[in-house]
Amino acid sequence: MDLTGFADAVGLDGPVTIAGLAGRGGPVPGVRCVAAPAGIGTFLPEEMTVSCGAGTPVAELQAALAERGQSVALPDGGTVGGALAVGHAGLLRLGHGPVRDALLQCHTVLADGSTVMAGGTTVKNVSGFDLCRLFVGAQGTLGFFGTVLLRTRPEPAARRWFRSDEPATAVRRRLFRPSAVLWNGAATIVCLEGHPADVAEQAAGAGLVEVEGPPPVPAGARRPLASDDPALVGLPAGSYLVELGVGVVHLADAAALAAPRIADPGVVALHGRLKRLFDPDGRLNPGRAPAGAEPVAIGSVHP
Amino acid sequence: MSERPIRLGLVDDELATCVSCGLCLPHCPTFRATGEEAASPRGRIAAMRAVQWEGAPVDDGFVEFMSSCVQCRGCEPACPSGVPFGRLMEGTRRALVDAGRTVPWWQRLGYRALGHHRLVLAGSRLAALGQRVGLMPARLGLPPLPLRVPRLRATGTAAWLFTGCVMDAWQRDVHASVLRVAAAAGVGMALPGAGGDCCGALHVHAGLHDDARRLAERVMRSMPGTAPVVVDSAGCGAALKDYGHVVGTPEAAAFAARVLDVHEWLVDLMDRLPVPSATMVRPSVVVQDPCHLRHVQRAHAAVRTVLAPYARLLELDDDGLCCGAGGAYSALQPELAGDIRERKLAAIARARSAAPDAVVVSANPGCSVHLAATGLTVRHPVQIIAEGLDG
Amino acid sequence: MVDAGLVAELAAVLSPDRVRIGATELALYRRDASTIEGDAGVVCFPLTTEEVAAVVRIAHRRRVPFVARGSGTGLAGGATPLDGALVVVTTKMNRVLSVDVDERRAWVEPGVLNLDLSRHGAAYGLHFAPDPSSQQSCSIGGNVANNSGGPHCLAEGVTSMHVLAVEVVLPDGTVTMLGDPDGEWDGYDLRGAFVGSEGMFGIATKVCVRLTPNPPDVRTLLFDYTDVAAGAATVSAIIAAGIVPAALEMMDANCIQAVEAYVHAGFPLDAAAVLLVEVDGLPHGVAADTERIVEIGMAHGARTARVAQNDEERALIWKGRKTAFGAVARIKPNYYLHDTVVPRHRLVEVLTQVYEIAARHELIVLNVFHAGDGNLHPLLVFDKREPGVMERVHAAGEEIVRASVAAGGVLSGEHGIGLEKRDFMPLMFAPADLDAQARLREAFDPDGLANPAKVLPSGSRCGDISHAPEGAWI
Repeated sequence: MDLTGFADAVGLDGPVTIAGLAGRGGPVPGVRCVAAPAGIGTFLPEEMTVSCGAGTPVAELQAALAERGQSVALPDGGTVGGALAVGHAGLLRLGHGPVRDALLQCHTVLADGSTVMAGGTTVKNVSGFDLCRLFVGAQGTLGFFGTVLLRTRPEPAARRWFRSDEPATAVRRRLFRPSAVLWNGAATIVCLEGHPADVAEQAAGAGLVEVEGPPPVPAGARRPLASDDPALVGLPAGSYLVELGVGVVHLADAAALAAPRIADPGVVALHGRLKRLFDPDGRLNPGRAPAGAEPVAIGSVHP
Repeated sequence: MSERPIRLGLVDDELATCVSCGLCLPHCPTFRATGEEAASPRGRIAAMRAVQWEGAPVDDGFVEFMSSCVQCRGCEPACPSGVPFGRLMEGTRRALVDAGRTVPWWQRLGYRALGHHRLVLAGSRLAALGQRVGLMPARLGLPPLPLRVPRLRATGTAAWLFTGCVMDAWQRDVHASVLRVAAAAGVGMALPGAGGDCCGALHVHAGLHDDARRLAERVMRSMPGTAPVVVDSAGCGAALKDYGHVVGTPEAAAFAARVLDVHEWLVDLMDRLPVPSATMVRPSVVVQDPCHLRHVQRAHAAVRTVLAPYARLLELDDDGLCCGAGGAYSALQPELAGDIRERKLAAIARARSAAPDAVVVSANPGCSVHLAATGLTVRHPVQIIAEGLDG
Repeated sequence: MVDAGLVAELAAVLSPDRVRIGATELALYRRDASTIEGDAGVVCFPLTTEEVAAVVRIAHRRRVPFVARGSGTGLAGGATPLDGALVVVTTKMNRVLSVDVDERRAWVEPGVLNLDLSRHGAAYGLHFAPDPSSQQSCSIGGNVANNSGGPHCLAEGVTSMHVLAVEVVLPDGTVTMLGDPDGEWDGYDLRGAFVGSEGMFGIATKVCVRLTPNPPDVRTLLFDYTDVAAGAATVSAIIAAGIVPAALEMMDANCIQAVEAYVHAGFPLDAAAVLLVEVDGLPHGVAADTERIVEIGMAHGARTARVAQNDEERALIWKGRKTAFGAVARIKPNYYLHDTVVPRHRLVEVLTQVYEIAARHELIVLNVFHAGDGNLHPLLVFDKREPGVMERVHAAGEEIVRASVAAGGVLSGEHGIGLEKRDFMPLMFAPADLDAQARLREAFDPDGLANPAKVLPSGSRCGDISHAPEGAWI
């Protein structure tokens, strides 16, 4: 897929933001907007890889993969590029892994107009530094994904959801590698995948009751937080959903828990240096960069 | 300190075998204790190569790195390339002795004394007396030594029981147990004639090759004929089995072929021993493999085979890592030997967590003494069998 | 030539006995398990994060390049010190600090050996999934630096997927925490960037690793073939059938013979290839997959399918696979091991080229590889005392790398770039790609002191004028 047009659109000067399907917060308001190319490139089921434009809707991609019994570990909704840029996995992260592990290779347009290839075509690759992981979850503040190559996975023979009234940790201990263990303050919700007989035996052994599907996810906010964090103790049951083993809490009310601040001076300094080296003028998705990476305000001393 | 070039005289093809992959590292007790390349088989070989192939000077570091090796040879079974590390180390030590860089005269006197068995027995008795009256310094790390040793009597001629020097002075009761078990199987054993005491193992390790060969020739003369030579000390057994290489004659090779570790020998006698009663309470034992039984003789499986009917066996989880005794090593390198022993003690503690009353069994006097010095009860496997036979 | 001031400062923050300058000892740190030699100026052994930070601050202030080193089992010269660099050895930092059984993670120091960690976890039914062939010797710090793989990475993924957080000493001596033990954080994935940075972004001093539950059921199968292509076709067919086995490993005839002489695992000596397949998980799934895999293997021309009957047999088969590299010394005393990855469907084609290349350079080649990942490990075996052989080995090696990249593959699957493949990087990356990687490096190490001159060829950064010494090929 040729990225010349996309790179030209990103251009060399002035603030620029990128739009997908506005499924994850959308582009930065009031800033010139571009869109990444869309469309599925090559799907090789026997390689377990698929390439596509970053603007491809996730639903379209999953539908194409499903025809050969495969899928990618990206959350539902929006575009592939948006899912990667935000980097938040869906509810099956415990079993399927984080979004950052799904990306094998990317062609990314940088703030200086160059198009950079990072990663490799194969699942296993340690050639050079891992720019792919750097770009995943960077909110498009270091570069905009143009095309990507993703790792696919075979769909399991069975996927079933269950619930239990026992505490989530106790339930998790009885299960071999569940794909999700969720806790909403009153009940544990579990997803099991694999051979149907194994799923049935596991569920029976742990005293689980089948439910129709995944629970509703509180939409107020998503916070990185350990499942045993004391801050959760005071929250009413049902107002939150904890994903065990992956450090994620969904809140009905964003104000219930403040977002954590990145305070480690080393991390803040690294954010700043990365941003200065990849986007010295702060052109890309202004306002979305993490602590330390927003351009220094006029008047302060540039180190 | 002179740093004139020393020829190590190692066989180039043997020295070339190492591919530096590092798979030996975790199997080396001194690497485990220090994490240092200089204390690893790979590092020691690299240092030997530098001297032999690049003419690097033999500096104090080189001497230290070679001296700190326990010569447990745990690296040999771990090595996929089959590097004959023991031979390289023995050759290097020999070159260092010949160049006057190791083994000062007073140590040499000590090694010589091992070949005079009355002196060994008297010395051990004196030390035992000293312990009783509190005159022996604790830093020597000796457990209580026996004041008296039982008299041994030959029971037949079907096999020789090699008695050794220190083994005989400290653990003659083990020999008695071997004779007892053999008798129960209907086999009579002969005791070696004059000169059948020191096997020369420590001399080989120290690089005192001429002394080792002289002792080996004496030992071979003390047990003539074709009967098997049964050894109940792992270090001695490994040494006797290597006489073909130490002495380098066809006669020595033939003698070495007659040598069996006592457990290997007992495997074939198992069906002649009385079957333990079903009601017998089998004691729990932690099997500690002496390096020269496991890595050199590779006879550790036999220990388990012969012990199993008489005891509940608990295994260590350390892949047979050395305990740090290493013949004279624990005396020459007390600090490292102590650090290495700590790992072994931790492994023993893990194994005993299931059976706190388990005793440790070890088929080598050096290991038993080194471990017993910490207060552990350490027995010889054959003692457990002998007690099992007694019910 | 020893920098006495540096030595004195290091001795003051460590202790004199943990700072070494003896010629014999320094020479032991000239290289890792590769054949590339450099030279070490000073070797030191810190025990704590604070000591590593103090050492790095001294190096930073004095502008002395430093190289972190674990067990020295790397195969790409990543831990080879150049120009008398300071070698910071982490082997004495070897404690498992804590294990959280419910959250299935552990904090460990970098010198903990990979297999020791799995053994430690065994008490809780857990293990560390990355299992490079050197796992008994290699350290977690080294695994982090190289983003190490191993046979079981086919299903479980490489080290980066098993590292939740890393405490690192940045090249200016700052101590910082990258990532989060709970698994999610805001901000850039600095953890992801650090893993696999080959010691060029700083020194890891504590690692929070994800532990994987031991599978309740494991089945190990061995197929043998009279044709390498049939083995490779089996691999593709298994994956296409929607099965991702725990491991899919292949060995060719030369390799089978070398290994069998060492392990006596009963590998058929007349086979052109053996394929080792491991399936693990819950019993019904394992049984169904095993049955299907046997069908696929036999349908693709396997002569026999041997299923390991017990743990001993399984361990023996694996021992054969994991000691293959060392066992080649039974053929010749030296080896040069390559590590490229090609798309699975081009395995046979590239393998055929590898045999041709070796034959043309009159070298013996053994192939032992992670077939499931398309990760080739051609081993060129030789005796370096033979005049002119090194030139042939390097020429053949370069051709193998070129053939792999030309087939749409990558330079390295798990050994890393180090010095060995640094100058091949332009085969895979355009100048703009390399410049972006150099920017990432610059963000972590603006002064270029951490393991300089590795991975990126000189001139990668636009306007790069830094001196990049050549790794001396020995």
